[in-house]
Amino acid sequence: MLLSLRWLARYVDLADIEATRLADDLTMTTAEVEGIETSGAALRDIVVGFVVECGKHPDADKLSLTKIDDGSGELLQVVCGAPNVAQGQKIAFCRVGVAVPIDGKKPKKGKIRGYESVGMICSSRELGLSDEHEGILVLDTDKAPGTPLTDVLPLSDTLIEIDNKSVTHRPDLWGHYGFARELAAMYRRPLRDALEGLKVALPTSGETVPVDVSGARGACARYCALVVQDVVVGPSPAWMQQLLVSVGARPRNNIVDLTNWLQFDLGQPTHAFDLGRLHGPRIDVRYAEPGSTMRTLDGEQRELGAFDLVICDAQGPVALAGIMGGEGSMVDERTTSVLLESANFDAVTVRRTSMRLGLRSDSSARFEKSLDPALAEVTAKKFIAMLAEVAPGARATGPLHDPTAWRYDEKHVHLRSPRVSALLGVPIDEASARGFLEPLGFSLREKGYESFDVAVPSWRATKDIAIEEDLVEEVGRCFRYDSIPPQAPRAEVQALVRDPELVLLEKLRMVCAYDLGMHEVYNYSFLDDALCARLGLEGEDYVEVTNAIASHLRRVRRDVLPSLLGSLADNMQRHDEVALFEVGMGYRPHRDIEGAMGEERQGQRLPFEVHQLVAVRARRSAAPPYARLRGDYEALLARLGIAVHEARLPTEAEARALPWMHPRRTALFLTKAGATLGYVGDLHPKTARALELDYSSRAGSVGGAAALCLDLRVALAAAHTDLRYEPVPKFPSQPVDLAFLVEEAVPVADLARLIVDANAKFVRRHKLFEVYRGPGLPAGKKSLNFRVELGSDKRTLNTEDEERYLDRVRVLCKERGFELRG
Amino acid sequence: MPEQLRSIIASAHEAARGAADAAALAVVESSFLGKKGALTLLLRELGSLSKEERPAFGKLVNDAKLALEALLDERRVAIEATALAAALEASDFDATEPGLEVPCGTLHPITQITHELVRVFEGLGFFWATGPEVEFEHYNFDALNIPASHPARDTQDTFWLSDGNLLRTHTSPVQVRAMQRFGAPLRVIAPGRCFRNEAVDATHEHTFYQMEGLMIDRDISIANLIHVMKTCLREILGREVRVRLRPGFFPFVEPGFELDVHDPFGTGADRWLELLPCGMVHPNVLRAGGLDPEAWTGFAFGLGLQRLVMIRYGITDIRDFTGGDLRFLEQFGRV
Repeated sequence: MLLSLRWLARYVDLADIEATRLADDLTMTTAEVEGIETSGAALRDIVVGFVVECGKHPDADKLSLTKIDDGSGELLQVVCGAPNVAQGQKIAFCRVGVAVPIDGKKPKKGKIRGYESVGMICSSRELGLSDEHEGILVLDTDKAPGTPLTDVLPLSDTLIEIDNKSVTHRPDLWGHYGFARELAAMYRRPLRDALEGLKVALPTSGETVPVDVSGARGACARYCALVVQDVVVGPSPAWMQQLLVSVGARPRNNIVDLTNWLQFDLGQPTHAFDLGRLHGPRIDVRYAEPGSTMRTLDGEQRELGAFDLVICDAQGPVALAGIMGGEGSMVDERTTSVLLESANFDAVTVRRTSMRLGLRSDSSARFEKSLDPALAEVTAKKFIAMLAEVAPGARATGPLHDPTAWRYDEKHVHLRSPRVSALLGVPIDEASARGFLEPLGFSLREKGYESFDVAVPSWRATKDIAIEEDLVEEVGRCFRYDSIPPQAPRAEVQALVRDPELVLLEKLRMVCAYDLGMHEVYNYSFLDDALCARLGLEGEDYVEVTNAIASHLRRVRRDVLPSLLGSLADNMQRHDEVALFEVGMGYRPHRDIEGAMGEERQGQRLPFEVHQLVAVRARRSAAPPYARLRGDYEALLARLGIAVHEARLPTEAEARALPWMHPRRTALFLTKAGATLGYVGDLHPKTARALELDYSSRAGSVGGAAALCLDLRVALAAAHTDLRYEPVPKFPSQPVDLAFLVEEAVPVADLARLIVDANAKFVRRHKLFEVYRGPGLPAGKKSLNFRVELGSDKRTLNTEDEERYLDRVRVLCKERGFELRG
Repeated sequence: MPEQLRSIIASAHEAARGAADAAALAVVESSFLGKKGALTLLLRELGSLSKEERPAFGKLVNDAKLALEALLDERRVAIEATALAAALEASDFDATEPGLEVPCGTLHPITQITHELVRVFEGLGFFWATGPEVEFEHYNFDALNIPASHPARDTQDTFWLSDGNLLRTHTSPVQVRAMQRFGAPLRVIAPGRCFRNEAVDATHEHTFYQMEGLMIDRDISIANLIHVMKTCLREILGREVRVRLRPGFFPFVEPGFELDVHDPFGTGADRWLELLPCGMVHPNVLRAGGLDPEAWTGFAFGLGLQRLVMIRYGITDIRDFTGGDLRFLEQFGRV
């Protein structure tokens, strides 16, 4: 929204205050200023020219050949296409090399139809002054040629741009008058009345049009209607056009311009119907019949619903209430009588229809803010008062007709001055509170000790002032928040409530990045359909966004891993080896198979939220990364003090829920309590192929990709981060190497158990250091080679102890069907 | 025999001096002092001498042996020194040759700023809390004094879900959740992921990261808010900064402010930067959290994390944060 200082000057004298200070003060107390611009700057180099000669262009019917005196002492030949150019005129002249305000283009010296033309005579439109482009602008001035145009026309203005978002809660600030009131209060200056100096010629009786608002069911608080006759539609006065252009509106004709001007002036939208084209004539404000249609004045056919408030004549809708008029009853050159509507429509109703139709107008933007119904009457009166100048001859032929008989039911708020000081944190005495509030239109009446009854003016009562804190804000912003000295709060010392999950997570992230050398990625919570298709995730049960940013981003992810696989595939296009991790939430609709339920509130339930840490590794060459990633997983579990109770292949159902993982090359980890910690494994060959990560299946290539997932809630429940010190052994360890020859199907865990079973007391540690397959071994067998450390707390073990241990291992091997080699 | 001894000594000394390396020296040692060495053999011939001659000659031979051993030792040290000097000289070491690459991972810049902010606020007695990203309409709107008719609820801003819930549009729902769970007094921060239905470009994202802050106690004032904000900004930015509070409207605070920081990164620019919206917690929000607004007051603030990171590192495209591109992520490896 643009504020014109020239416009504000109608209501408050601010001429001695610099625009930058005004802008700063507004920003600090009222609304955010986005910038200051000076209109007329583009017109600085346009000068007054005098048409010394004007004749027909010898080779073009519609062109004139003129000689212009631009004050330079030399007569310039200029070819002009305007029909109204004539000898003896003073015109606005754009010299060669000077930018034409409307588009910034600079006329060059050149020939038009064979005749040299040096410069350009401008129309109002080319000067950016109005839409008038029928002919050149003829100046009524006695200033000499060469005088800057800005000295002739009142063009220079300073415009302050207000960020609309900063005044959404202030319905009173959607016109110049509201800002004038703020500034007058701020600088303690008198504010002129909105109607000051105007004569309101309203008959007390006469012609009216019947208005019925009963069908609006409360959505039309006020409807002021006024009949105006003897209207001659034509251009509005130049000053009005210029003000409209300066705040970004397009002048059209005197009646429409006046309604627009009032909207920027007082903030109240009004609508002028061509009375001759209203059927009845009568006005019904009611909700539309579902399926009915109307054509708005932008030429669009609009389909209406039962929640759209419309203005109807005897035949049907003629306007979308508070949004836009209808084409059939719009004012144009033929109009001779007008019905003025100055009404108040419900904010929510207007907003809903405007959103539904995607039709936002200056009018709907204002009604959406909950306008003051009192403003409707003032604006109608101002319309009549200004008509004499804007449309000479036109007059109201009847009284202001308002069937609602609206009266302001004054709102009162209780204000305790100690509360003001306490909330602001600075002492504010009663006199200053009064001094801030009264100029803004509040009236204060003492009511008991240190407290007031505050009457709220109608223009602040619809929305933003309702409770004591709202008044504290008024006092605070007038005092200016930046004048409040900072003060340290006094608070009790409290122990921090640390969420163990967050503490753990912070550490695990560091382990992943700094121990394991992986890079952290953040992916969207939305799962792209294209990625789903690549991963074969079509038929799953997802929480879906009903108004997605794009139709392919409507799924909310169930698991974090699929998106990370996407990141992996992208990065592997550019790198030979990649290790990534991500921490995030997956969402399962509450009817999920796991039976886990989300949070419940009044019958409504959130989806079940899983908190996952996932990681992926891929390599284009060297050994496939599974073993490394499994090592990463074990390192993470070791950091958490979690002993895996069981590691096994996923069941068929479990594998179905992880379609991106290889069903036979994925290890699922379970805790002692039976909860699934997560999994680590190779990618499903189909997934690997779809993501082009299937290096080992290509000729002469190795490498591949693996993934892991850790459920953080399960991990937290299973974690033993508290540890107890064990004394460093006093007696040395005795290393023993064991090589077992076993069938392929025998799991490592079975031999690990055997090693411990052979003598739980002496086995300090054991470690699988090699799995050997190949030459020298029978087909279908593998050799599992362990290093075992034997030791005791009581003495140094000797060879006999070692022999006894080996004997025991041999016995157990025999019992369990394994072969001890060497 | 003494002549013989003299000639042996002479040739031994000559051989020892001529030995160029450890191996040659070993040969000299064994050919004179070894089991079949010249001096050893001479000593064996002692028996052929008379009793009177023996002690004197024996001493001569022993002295010669000791002298030769000393000479050999001396030579050995010299040869080793020469060999070491040569070895040091002959090194193929290249001081510019890099070592084996150790793969170093990185934390996402948003994670890093989150951890940093948590440290700063824990120092001020605020604790870290979270809330669900898929949220009830109640906590995201109603409880925050955003009634059903409020424009903020429009579908153009909020992602609505098929189950009637929504993706939270800010971290502010955690305010009410924290009040309900922990009561008052309360000092809490809640960093996290939020969503707005907005078209993505270099400066706009539909997924963004905020940090909510909330302090509730007896008699908390705007003066307290300014103090705490100044303190935390000094910590975050690493220097004293000028801040200014100006009116801003957010339904869940009253009064509400925008807090601007002057030249936040000390570049010398005379510019105010809008950094965080804040305000005094609205009485309706306190009530929704189960607290009596007459007994408790508080302030709340929100900090845009991407924005903070972008300003700090000069990042110009907000899409980089979720792009997952290693060429971006790898740059944030410093601890």
